[in-house]
Amino acid sequence: MAAQGFKRLVRRHSEIGIFLIAGLLVVFFATSSDGRWANLYNFATILQVTATLGLMTLGVALVIGTGEIDISVGSTFGMGALVYLWLALRIDPAIAMLAAVTVGGLIGAFNGWLITKTGTPSLIITLGSLMIFRGIAIALTDGFSFSIPYAARGGFTYWLFGGGDILGFNTGLIWLLVSLVVLMILLRATPFGNRLLAVGGSAASAHSRGVRVDRIKFSAFVICGLLAGLAGGLEAGKLGFADGSMGRLMELQAIASCVLGGCLLAGGRVSLPGALMGAFVLSSIQSYLVVMGVRPQWFILTLGVIVVAAALGDRLLRQWAVKR
Amino acid sequence: MSGTPLIQVKNLQLYFGAFHALKNVSLDFNAGELIGLVGDNGAGKTTLIRVLCGIHKPTSGEVWFNGERVEKFHPKLAIDQGIETIQQSVGLCDNLSIARNFYLGREPVRRIFGIPILDFKKMREMSTRVIREFGLRDNVSADDEVERLSGGERQSVKIGRAVEFKNRVVIMDEPTNHLSVREREHVNELAVALKEQGLLVIYITHDIFQVHKLADRIIIMENGEKIEDAATSAMTADALEEVIRQGGRKVEKREAV
Repeated sequence: MAAQGFKRLVRRHSEIGIFLIAGLLVVFFATSSDGRWANLYNFATILQVTATLGLMTLGVALVIGTGEIDISVGSTFGMGALVYLWLALRIDPAIAMLAAVTVGGLIGAFNGWLITKTGTPSLIITLGSLMIFRGIAIALTDGFSFSIPYAARGGFTYWLFGGGDILGFNTGLIWLLVSLVVLMILLRATPFGNRLLAVGGSAASAHSRGVRVDRIKFSAFVICGLLAGLAGGLEAGKLGFADGSMGRLMELQAIASCVLGGCLLAGGRVSLPGALMGAFVLSSIQSYLVVMGVRPQWFILTLGVIVVAAALGDRLLRQWAVKR
Repeated sequence: MSGTPLIQVKNLQLYFGAFHALKNVSLDFNAGELIGLVGDNGAGKTTLIRVLCGIHKPTSGEVWFNGERVEKFHPKLAIDQGIETIQQSVGLCDNLSIARNFYLGREPVRRIFGIPILDFKKMREMSTRVIREFGLRDNVSADDEVERLSGGERQSVKIGRAVEFKNRVVIMDEPTNHLSVREREHVNELAVALKEQGLLVIYITHDIFQVHKLADRIIIMENGEKIEDAATSAMTADALEEVIRQGGRKVEKREAV
């Protein structure tokens, strides 16, 4: 009976798998690391990393929800970080963050406009912009890094955008939670969300019901860019410096987080809490490998193996759930 | 019939690449008429109605609605003007609930601090009433995803939705596909009832005998052309079937002259 009820739960909620995996990993990491992983300081670090990766993941989840993909977010993140640092030092962190988010939104608009106007697959367009904006970031920094001197790292607005802590947790976490709530309402409880999921489920059907498919897709890319720009700004605020390689390969982590979290790559099925949990799992694994002193050359390999194992575990769970 | 036709199609041409899908089609459709649009597969019936409901833009020719020329083609514009269409292959998103599909594109909202929030109560109540009326299984609820439904149930949701939002025109593309005998009768009764309420009903089917009983007028298409347009009082179903059977040859003859 209990097993039947659980099966039903798994069938209805594709994100259950990632929550179970997260639970198992937390127990395993905590018991096998002799306190080096499971302590408040380390949790705060994991959550800070989760905050920036998570913001990016939420945006990618919306784009995946429409049946498209955005692999340019790593570069958008990098651009956001550079814009934030450059302006935070010269004007004010609040204006700088506004500019970073705007630049992110513009990159999203660039992607969305090209994809919807020309009908070119989003994979190739965003692959192009991944390279274009990485190139611009590298050119802007010219091999050096942007940084803010310690003396300038004060003030409320600097604190607010990732540059400070509240109760031991980075302020970026606030932005993640606010974004999560806003986007969950947007996706589940507004006409826009209903149409976004409809477009991902069947663009032709949505079109026949009068949905402006192109506008929905365009909006999803813009929101995705805004969030990646925000995440980049927060990360820059946390570190106080950034170079041209900021956010490199993060786009792949964001996509992996979405898929692990129960978002269907074909579109139409999105779980924002699941995607966020995916980002948490990836951040936790990275942190575990660091505190366990896994040598850098094995790091990425181990991470990859755990990701594949987690994905297979999730798949097995779902296959079990659909069996009678 | 007097007055301006509700929908007027003049010299409509539509190409898909090199394929000539609609060949110089001219037609009038009046309010309060039930029209049977008949023809074989590939005759251009669905293409024609997809122009009327805004999915396809014609290559040339004119469409007039209620005395005004239609300049832009998009399903949203057609729906806003009161054209409801029951499409054959599209219209439902499997990943959404029945209630969400029902209101897709015209979601009812309540404003909370100015933010449009879906009115779930209204969505659920109305779609529940419709699916009960159309006799879906008792264990199907408005919150269930369309994925769960059988072919007949999907069709019922589409028809129920079109009837619920009926406005001026209801276009039905093969509405009785996937339906049981009793469901079929229900749909046919609905089509007649809509017409009697003064709506224009365009009923697309293969089955000339079935639609002849319901329709005021039958239009036959063949190879993207209109080959017959006759009142049902003027021609028997057998005579019309003969036209369909001869259709291809008749068209060739006309072209040869």
